[in-house]
Amino acid sequence: MSAVATAGGLDDRVLDELASVLGDDHLLTSRPARLHRARVPAPFPVHRWADHVPDCVALPGSTEEVAEVVRIANRFRVPVVPRSGGTGLTDGAVPLRHGILLDLKRLDAIHEIDLEDRTCTVGAGVNMLKLNEVLGRHGLIYPDDPASYPCSLVGGRIGTSGWSLVGSRYGHTRDLVLSFVHVLPTGEVIRAGDGGGAKISKSSTGLNLKHLLMGHQGTLGVATEATLKLYPRPEAELSPFWAFEDYDTAHRTLRELVRADCATFAGAVLFDEEKVAYLRRDDEAYIPQPENVRALVCAVLYGNEDEVRAGGRRLMRIARANGARYLGDEISEGDWAARHDRYATPLHGRTKSGQVIPMSWHCEDAAINWSRLPAVRREWHAIIARLRAKSDVFDDWGMFAYTSGRTGVDYLTEIDVGIWEQELDDETWAMWVQAKREIAAVAVAHGGSISACHGACREGEVDVVPDELGPAYDVMRRLKRTLDPNNVMNPGKYGFDGAFEEDLT
Amino acid sequence: MSIEESEATGAPGAGPTDEFVREWRNAAYNCYSSGHKFCREVCPVMQVERNESWTPTAFHANVVAMEKGELSIEEVASDYVNCTQCGACELRCPNTLFTGDFYRFRTRTVDLVKAVRALAVEQGIHQPGYQRWNLLTDERRHEPVLGEFDGDGIPVDQAHVADWAADLDLPIGGETILFVDCEAAFYRTSVPRAVAQILKLAGVEFGLMREQWCCGGPAAEMGYLEQAKRFARHNLDDWRAVGVKRVIVLDPHDYITFTEDYPKYFGEEVDDLEIVLAVELFAELIREGRLRPSVPIERTITYHDPCRLNKRKGIWKEPREVLRAIPGLDFRDVDRVTQWSYCSGGGAGLPVEKPELTAKISGRRLEKAAELEVDTLVSACPWSERPLSQAGDAHAIDVVDIHELLAESLGIEVGGRRGA
Amino acid sequence: MTPFRHGEQRTPPSARRVTDVAVMRFEHIYEVDPRLMVDHVRQQPFPNWDTQRIAGSRHDHLAWMHRHWASVVVSGEELLDD
Repeated sequence: MSAVATAGGLDDRVLDELASVLGDDHLLTSRPARLHRARVPAPFPVHRWADHVPDCVALPGSTEEVAEVVRIANRFRVPVVPRSGGTGLTDGAVPLRHGILLDLKRLDAIHEIDLEDRTCTVGAGVNMLKLNEVLGRHGLIYPDDPASYPCSLVGGRIGTSGWSLVGSRYGHTRDLVLSFVHVLPTGEVIRAGDGGGAKISKSSTGLNLKHLLMGHQGTLGVATEATLKLYPRPEAELSPFWAFEDYDTAHRTLRELVRADCATFAGAVLFDEEKVAYLRRDDEAYIPQPENVRALVCAVLYGNEDEVRAGGRRLMRIARANGARYLGDEISEGDWAARHDRYATPLHGRTKSGQVIPMSWHCEDAAINWSRLPAVRREWHAIIARLRAKSDVFDDWGMFAYTSGRTGVDYLTEIDVGIWEQELDDETWAMWVQAKREIAAVAVAHGGSISACHGACREGEVDVVPDELGPAYDVMRRLKRTLDPNNVMNPGKYGFDGAFEEDLT
Repeated sequence: MSIEESEATGAPGAGPTDEFVREWRNAAYNCYSSGHKFCREVCPVMQVERNESWTPTAFHANVVAMEKGELSIEEVASDYVNCTQCGACELRCPNTLFTGDFYRFRTRTVDLVKAVRALAVEQGIHQPGYQRWNLLTDERRHEPVLGEFDGDGIPVDQAHVADWAADLDLPIGGETILFVDCEAAFYRTSVPRAVAQILKLAGVEFGLMREQWCCGGPAAEMGYLEQAKRFARHNLDDWRAVGVKRVIVLDPHDYITFTEDYPKYFGEEVDDLEIVLAVELFAELIREGRLRPSVPIERTITYHDPCRLNKRKGIWKEPREVLRAIPGLDFRDVDRVTQWSYCSGGGAGLPVEKPELTAKISGRRLEKAAELEVDTLVSACPWSERPLSQAGDAHAIDVVDIHELLAESLGIEVGGRRGA
Repeated sequence: MTPFRHGEQRTPPSARRVTDVAVMRFEHIYEVDPRLMVDHVRQQPFPNWDTQRIAGSRHDHLAWMHRHWASVVVSGEELLDD
């Protein structure tokens, strides 16, 4: 039997064993059930949908069932691909080798809300917005706020090591998750945390496995339950938006706002000139502004009202001193509250002649130091311009840069590319994959990271991963081999198959 | 390819599925290419089942799959049972909520579900419950709301459709008629009795139809479009025959049928027909002082926003006005946006085909009400009140219709019955 | 309360241009220039009540999202002169 789990086509023995663990109702083999769990929102080669369809779908209702499924997969050398919300943007949940699609959405219970130490424990299938509707009644909040906040699930946040729009104050998923129940690729179950305590945020006992077991895209197992750190629900929110006549001024002002060191500062976003031009396509997003508004910066503060006001006053002064014009409360408040919804609007796609077309949306997410943002911006727009010159299938929707931390050392740097999915074929897909490679290479060349948060296992960018990681990449392969000797967990992702080459000779 | 190109080539084929796919292609890709999935956590079915195959996303992706030849209508038809057509998904979808009005192009999951159900029926693929229900409706002209064999020996048919009004001395015909849906006419007769007596108290002149048939809405929701249109034609002809200019409805489902389906069937022919929602009329009459609820009702209540008022039509203000005008109530409200994710599970034939799923959804709705420590859940939709009442028993929460409550506070002895 | 009349709902008010890509028919509600939706994506029949429902719901949703995260939204305009 091959040590490397091979493409599926599950026989009846495997299906029977799975059914006896899950119950017939929770093992799905129909074609629609499998097709719907083949893709995630990242642009998808629709013309090759069948390439990524799993052989069956498991809907476990408990950690024990998850562990059993994984043990069965090991016995039969069948791939297992975990799928939480299926809202990731790096194809982490796309089955490269068919196999068992492990759908975690039924794990949606809130097991405990601890009002004393301010934690809660939830199943991996819980959505943060729905959780916060409950926590709000206790004056608490779990402030993990990605663009997918209304629909992404806790398990996926762990599997991708998610990033939050308000991470500069509250931290990101890795800071907010205290510990989690984790099923290893062999089916053993452990708790991954800082040390062994479930509700501990900082420990130096033993080796820290928590961060290793976050962000692996399902290649090192799957989380089934998490204990979360809770904050007081903010008393006040302030989200000013400022307009600038050019990108460079906006870029410099961004640095000054961050350096103000306001305790309630939760994040800032820089919109480049191409992004502002794109937003002008939809005057709902953006009340018409004069021509000389070319770049924007917004900042957001959360906390108690005294501190938010004090911080706000200082930021307003700094912005004005740098030549910014405040866009007013209506835009500032509305656009911040709309932050999750402003992303993938397909009808903002345009042909070169300006006609409306539905476009899918690619969102790059490199991590780039502030000092390198202008150069990365120039190079990325040039890559997309070359693409668009070759084909109407691609469109440049501009760039965002978001603070990842309160010191402003690095930014989640995003270029949004519209892709006319209806018209994709092998030729345009290949153009796209090459562009992805080039985009990723730019990030690495500037000392950054291919991905701040989605992951880097998409076609194209994954080829650049060894360049970014250097010798550390081989350590990752060795860890993969150690923890997943049969290569059942999401095989093929991240090029980790390379860890198993010896077994093939 | 452009619209002209795809229409000219008639690619890929000329069968009904191909026509359907061509019509829905852009809408399907608008969802497929977006990836937002904000529809999911507001979907009442998704909240209880957690099955991604039964989501608005999957409903749209099926169209793309059919276009690519990856799936057929036979394979997906039964998945579309799992929807109450509440409209939460298509409203919450950013392609509606943020840019639907900008582009005059929004997400239309409700229409899609109806269209797929109709496509299935057209091709001879039937869901057994739906088929039986619509067959019986066709035979009797009304939905079999008292069961196939008429529970309590009360026949559901033309001769008895106005029995609820027997002692109310209502005329037949006139410029304004009151249309009463099947569930209210036969099952929860206290609702139309309350409405009729409130109208009389306020001095609003109205009559009943000569020959009221089911509005046809449920048939359309379940995919029996030919029957829906036939019933609609009958009702419209009956109205015209007696000079009806205005139709008052008490049921949100009828409000949707008459303001959306009938215009689609009849176009300009119904341009001047006025449709009035009873609860909106009552709110106005209260504002004008023509109705003065004065009998205190000592209940601790919360209000269930019917999906077909709040989400589908944006009507949420008037029912609350009515409730706030009733003395004695301790009203613990839940805002209309939070209620986008609430549902009774009673819509679009779901209780007909999968009553256990309806029960799960209404159970969840009652759990939310119970958290508020109320003794009463008030709804403005007769179809919601049956599943909600059944779920209410477990929580000792009484489920009451807003018209019943208003009538009581106006000192009216409503009569009739609140279901079986 | 205005009763529903389909005849009034199906014809939107006429458009006036507000930018080179957008028009306006209802106060404060922007719309794409319909000439940009000819070749590939056609506009849907859109009764007036639907436009109003969406605009009203958007406003309600934004207010909800503010309340979901914090009790008070501080006005930037008030802080400008400090």
